[in-house]
Amino acid sequence: MATSVRSYPMPDDILTAILELARREKGADRLAFRGHDDELQSVFAELSKDPKRSLLRLFVFSDSGPRPYSPTLNDSVSKLQLAGFLGRQNPDYEVVFTTTAARDYYETVLSNIFSDDEKNQLSEIAKVFLSHIRSV
Amino acid sequence: MTTAKSARGQLEERVDRFVQWSFRDYRPVKPRGPKVINDSLLGNQYFSRHEVAVIDSPILQRLKRIKQTGLVYQVYPSATHSRFEHSLGTATIAERCLFAIQERAFVEWGKPIANFDRTKGDLAHLRMAAMLHDVGHGLCSHASEQIYELLSDLREFKQDERYAKNAPGEILSHLIITSATFRSWFEEYVKRDCQADLDLKLIGELVLGRHPDKGRYFLAQIVSSPYDADKLDYIARDSYYCGLALTVDLARFYSMISTAEQNGHRVLVLRSYVPLEQILFSKMTLFGSVYHHQKAKCLDNMLRATVQHISENARECKIKLDGAEISFADPVEYLYITDDEFFNQIQPLGDQFVRRMISRFRKRDLFARCLEISRRTVTRKSWESFGRKHLLDLADDLDSLDEAERKIRSALPDKVKRDCDRGEVLLSVPKRPNLKTDFAFVQTSPKAGIDTIEKFFPVEQWTEAYAHNKWRSYVYAPREHATAVRDAAAAVLKEEFRIEVDLGLSNENCYQE
Repeated sequence: MATSVRSYPMPDDILTAILELARREKGADRLAFRGHDDELQSVFAELSKDPKRSLLRLFVFSDSGPRPYSPTLNDSVSKLQLAGFLGRQNPDYEVVFTTTAARDYYETVLSNIFSDDEKNQLSEIAKVFLSHIRSV
Repeated sequence: MTTAKSARGQLEERVDRFVQWSFRDYRPVKPRGPKVINDSLLGNQYFSRHEVAVIDSPILQRLKRIKQTGLVYQVYPSATHSRFEHSLGTATIAERCLFAIQERAFVEWGKPIANFDRTKGDLAHLRMAAMLHDVGHGLCSHASEQIYELLSDLREFKQDERYAKNAPGEILSHLIITSATFRSWFEEYVKRDCQADLDLKLIGELVLGRHPDKGRYFLAQIVSSPYDADKLDYIARDSYYCGLALTVDLARFYSMISTAEQNGHRVLVLRSYVPLEQILFSKMTLFGSVYHHQKAKCLDNMLRATVQHISENARECKIKLDGAEISFADPVEYLYITDDEFFNQIQPLGDQFVRRMISRFRKRDLFARCLEISRRTVTRKSWESFGRKHLLDLADDLDSLDEAERKIRSALPDKVKRDCDRGEVLLSVPKRPNLKTDFAFVQTSPKAGIDTIEKFFPVEQWTEAYAHNKWRSYVYAPREHATAVRDAAAAVLKEEFRIEVDLGLSNENCYQE
């Protein structure tokens, strides 16, 4: 897969890794949580405040407006939905769940892109992420 | 000791040089007075004397030569409207929004919310920002924006929280408005001669969707937000000129718009979510029917191949235009040349490949769609694998897309490869429709709480529905090579991306000899 393996992560790769590591941390077959855009924006804005979480710098939050907003985060969620890594549950589509494609992608591709230090950072972020979201 | 200029500083300098070039032989004439300009969509629009000075300037007149919907007129022949009329329309709609907010403020609170002078204060700045919001658009509007946004020059800006919400064209508009050359012209001919008390720095901020006074943040939102004047104009205008019967009930929208306090900011709110639902629904329809139409994507990608060829063969192909040399090496070079100049040059442009491509655009001799990659045509097993993610990554990475196209060309039989140029194998991977770029607020009455739009209807569901039902990736090639390119592309997709296309299903919608 020479064309498709990149040596650097895109923002949606970071998001995939966090969600997959959160799933592992939870020990569930799939991760399901309540995650309308405004909730995810708040959680990631909070997580990004810690400068040690350098991987989250890719999600740049605008400093204008009443609440921090990252179009990159919104776009990453859309991309992962389109890629089939994230699904949304009827009837209100508030519940987000991860799929096996996301799990396979982390195992096969992303785990080779991230260094051990980065994986440790992602695991820490995933743990805090779990404590911030409303799991289903 | 001198330090190397940042990429950002260099881009600012290049933008200023472009503005100098635009004004090079311009001899301003003092406008005699205000003007009424009639618009097919909005009717009579009134512009003050200082606004006429700006309308007459090269920076805005240039927009007449840039079509609002890029190359879409090759699909919908009447979609020949320009960025110019859209810019004027946006100013008019911005004023109508502010007027509606003012009316409601009188009714609900019994006091005004904004200053209504055309030559100074809130309304004057709002109208000027709306008029200038698109001056950063270049060749074929968004068709070229999709190319240069992936160039490194704008990345430094996008890492800055000031510009996080802005599209590349908006950043360029901001840089043009705040450039030294434009500022100097504006001071003399707009502020001094026409006696307008305007702050160009504030106008530049409004274009970015920012306002230094949190109590007036809603003014910035009228220029740039999920329901800004720009969207209200382009959704109505694009659908009108494409002949699509989409509804944006502007009168209803004006009757529902208000402001409220949120975390110290005065923000735009709608008293009902229905107008916003209409806007999002229309935007979604426009993506499916117009912006992501398979022929429109073919044209966008043919433009990308042409521009890329000029960039890679700058010595032979660079375009010389009144002292400027353009090889599309950076985002600013896309500003120098407009649609009219690019497609209608009397002197032949570039080398044989470029001339052939320009001729194709003129004659509407488009490449054929030879492979469809979608939920319908890809086998279920490979559609549900992570191969789709690899494919989608190509929309965010021009180098990888280029590499994938090269691989498809390499997989062609030698006989075909000899006759098929590098730029004649095109893989189109459309980006996700950006339905949302910021929070959109609803407050059903002045005393009710403020909620985000997702609480009222599922925006995310629409994104998912679009992804599942409407998103398509295609491979295009000249007709004579279509079958060979289809087979090569199918093989590369299977080998490199684990995506297996059912050729029988794909052929139903694609060109066949």
